[in-house]
Amino acid sequence: MSPLALRQQRIQVAGQRQLALGRSRQRLMIGVLLFVALLAVVALRLLDLSMLQGAKPAGQRDLFAALVPPRADIVDRHGAELARTFDAYSIAVRPRDIVGDKRELAERIAAALPGMTYEKALATLNHPGKYRYLQRRVLPTDAKRINAIGEPGILLEREPERLYPNLGLASHILGYTDIDGKGAAGVERAFEERLSRDDMRGKPLVLSVDSRIQQAMEHELAVAMEKFSAVGAAGIVLDVRTGEVLAMTSLPELNPNDAGKGSVEARFNRTTLGVYELGSTFKPFTVAMAMDAGTVRSMGQMYECPRGLRVGRFTITDTHPFGRRCSVAEIMQESSNIGTAQIARELGGARQKAFLEKMGFLEPVSIELKERGRTLSPGANWGEIATMTVGYGHGIAVTPLHLATGYAALFNGGVWRPATILKVGKDQPLAPGRRVFTEQTSYKMRALMRLVVTEGTGRKADAPGYRVGGKTGTAEKVVNGRYKRNAVINTFAGVFPMDDPRYVVVAMLDEPQPLKETYGFRTAGWNVAPVVSKVITRIGPVLGVVPDEQREPNMAEVLPYIEPKAKP
Amino acid sequence: MLNTALPDKLRLLPWTVIFVIVAIGGFGISILYSAAGGSLQPWAATQSIRFGVLLIAMLAVAQIDIEVWIRYAYPLYGVILVLLAVVEAVGFVGMGAQRWIDLGIIRLQPSEFMKLAIILALARYYHFLPRAFIESPRALWPPVLLIGVPMALVMAQPDLGTSLMIAFGGVAMLFLAGVRLRWFIGAGIAIAAALPIVYNSLRPYQQKRVLTFIDPEADPLGAGYHITQSKIAIGSGGMFGKGFLNGTQSHLEYLPEKHTDFIFATMAEEWGLMGGLSILAGFAVIIGWGIGVSLTGRTQFAKLAAMGLTCTVFFYVMINTLMVMGLAPVVGIPLPLVSYGGSAMMTVLLTMGILMSIARQRHRQMLGGGPASL
Repeated sequence: MSPLALRQQRIQVAGQRQLALGRSRQRLMIGVLLFVALLAVVALRLLDLSMLQGAKPAGQRDLFAALVPPRADIVDRHGAELARTFDAYSIAVRPRDIVGDKRELAERIAAALPGMTYEKALATLNHPGKYRYLQRRVLPTDAKRINAIGEPGILLEREPERLYPNLGLASHILGYTDIDGKGAAGVERAFEERLSRDDMRGKPLVLSVDSRIQQAMEHELAVAMEKFSAVGAAGIVLDVRTGEVLAMTSLPELNPNDAGKGSVEARFNRTTLGVYELGSTFKPFTVAMAMDAGTVRSMGQMYECPRGLRVGRFTITDTHPFGRRCSVAEIMQESSNIGTAQIARELGGARQKAFLEKMGFLEPVSIELKERGRTLSPGANWGEIATMTVGYGHGIAVTPLHLATGYAALFNGGVWRPATILKVGKDQPLAPGRRVFTEQTSYKMRALMRLVVTEGTGRKADAPGYRVGGKTGTAEKVVNGRYKRNAVINTFAGVFPMDDPRYVVVAMLDEPQPLKETYGFRTAGWNVAPVVSKVITRIGPVLGVVPDEQREPNMAEVLPYIEPKAKP
Repeated sequence: MLNTALPDKLRLLPWTVIFVIVAIGGFGISILYSAAGGSLQPWAATQSIRFGVLLIAMLAVAQIDIEVWIRYAYPLYGVILVLLAVVEAVGFVGMGAQRWIDLGIIRLQPSEFMKLAIILALARYYHFLPRAFIESPRALWPPVLLIGVPMALVMAQPDLGTSLMIAFGGVAMLFLAGVRLRWFIGAGIAIAAALPIVYNSLRPYQQKRVLTFIDPEADPLGAGYHITQSKIAIGSGGMFGKGFLNGTQSHLEYLPEKHTDFIFATMAEEWGLMGGLSILAGFAVIIGWGIGVSLTGRTQFAKLAAMGLTCTVFFYVMINTLMVMGLAPVVGIPLPLVSYGGSAMMTVLLTMGILMSIARQRHRQMLGGGPASL
């Protein structure tokens, strides 16, 4: 090689070296950029997962959302929990993706899940569809056992589950949710939007119900229902001043945690959906209407009370016939149909209807719940006979809650207010009322109703010291549009303390049977009146009503007008 | 030299980086404490001792002269390659994969050391390779063999994750050394073509992992369970997490491998986005420092070795975090310094030790009797 060529080569080599060096530096920089880019990808993905996607799998968006339940809790007026939501599981199957032996799998599923049978599991596993639920509302412990099977064709999904920790307590008020968590009955249905709305579900819904009173009412009614072999029962405690429902129960009992298993009877809310002829409990309304209208001017006003009163084709009779002239006070005391019918006739159908309309008796009961039955009334055939029968509670059918709100209006000074299931307070103002009766009438009714309990048909409803007033009602049961023989609906509508009325207590028994103990009677005075007495004895202290044997309403209003009975 | 220089040597240590390492390691121990339900047993205590011992080892390694690394790069590589072969022959069967040699006292995992040895060996190779030959195809065969043989041995164990790490490290070295881009493109095409064959030769569990990576939600109870649960755990942490000791996914045993490969998810559930970003920031500091060492190195060996070692740490962090967040297949790479277990911690701390020793002498112009790069 010539020296020139050699020098040339050396220069070339040096040039290549420079080039390689430059490239090496360039590569290093590319590497650094890759580092930064990858690090950024990881950081962004972390941001994406923790801030944006977190909501999907766990059902919670961030710390704040984790504390907000998917559906608002429901609590009673003192904050006791009535309904809440927790995370349960649903177990689903993709039958086509199942890897293991289906028979063996079905056996293991049946063993792991309570209430699951081998046949049912196998049928689901063999289903031709793409996706089938095996079981929903599964407890975490059971879900864990399913997870342990390790079958990829079985899917575990979290879903919010509604829990009613007090089981049957206030179940007809609370209602229940359907399988998709939407309210299907009761408060759950009526307040669906309030309970599930994003900005509201963090705050529990406060009901007017007091669980202690609800419990007392449910217990006493259940005992009576059992004792008298009744097919059902209903009970309400209402604050006469505010219209707040403190307790409302319908029996047979329903467990809202498993509402689907409850019978149609159990799911039926007798207090707001069931309409009944409430019989004699209606009579005080008739008297009050007549006093307001001016047709009855005094408790001493006298009526002819024969043993039977012929009206058109049929005859009105009494269970305790007078067979003489009797005063308004006596008519009420002995629950005389004949007397009340005459008072109603004097009042007249038009005025009667107007009063009933003002009390909301001709339309579904005023409460937030959606389960509200349509009332029955004579409607277009509101002639004289209808006026007379409606006067003593026949030919008109309303819900027990109608009766309770009516009594509240009658005894709170005469102002009707819609019933409410929500606690009245700063979030929930008192509903505006409308005057139905004068204050004077309302005042006079106190003594009259107290008289029924001290001297009349409602004696067994008395609770010593609590000054109970009220009225019994026994009505033959209508089944398929006909009166059912020997089947009665017994009601007692009571108010206490009668010298300053605060609470209405309505109790109803559906088809109570006569007992030896009741001397073969099945009238309200014998079976449902004692329930009211026991309930008031229990709830009086809770409600802060002090028992006082000395206090009574002004009985001078009525006592002069009754003929003393010959004591046996 | 030793007696005069001890305070000097201490002063020269990169204390910021050491502090970050201790911080990450400490955080890891606290996560292990929580993952055990608020107990030192069975993980946190062991991990603390291990971390302490290996931290001292790191500082000791940092004192080794850079000359030693270049001189013993090949012998080190050779010994580890032999050990890998031995593992194949008399390996201990654990976790379904032959990865350990049982020396009685400790179970040695040579594949871990190979990640470092390959980088030192390649750095040495390119240090002495005349610049003009870097581009020649003839000079490409030795490094390809250097990478290929251990990779094949580790793959046979079978350990997909580690063999991929070795490959990544080696290829990164070739790239950094300046091998022409066309070779990488060619190799990329060849691999893409070979992929179906490779896929079919994978073990069924490995195949499933790849499929699961493509669609984890398709099979949330089977192989996708890891990723799905992990993503739920991270997602449920939100911005600031559920609080120390308050994780539910991990404490209720939803999260598999909560203390090892998926510890990042355990952490993210309790510490949230902030915890995750803190760990990433910590590693960013370490990696940034490593890059700085490489950029300021005067010799080719210092440059390449520093960058290669930094890459190793980076791969660990990236593969683990991407896997946990569902962006990479589940390959069983732990999060260094945080995950429970000694191997990864040892590798990373040794890497950091070597990096520190290089960093100390990165300004030396001559190495191994050969020419400096300038």
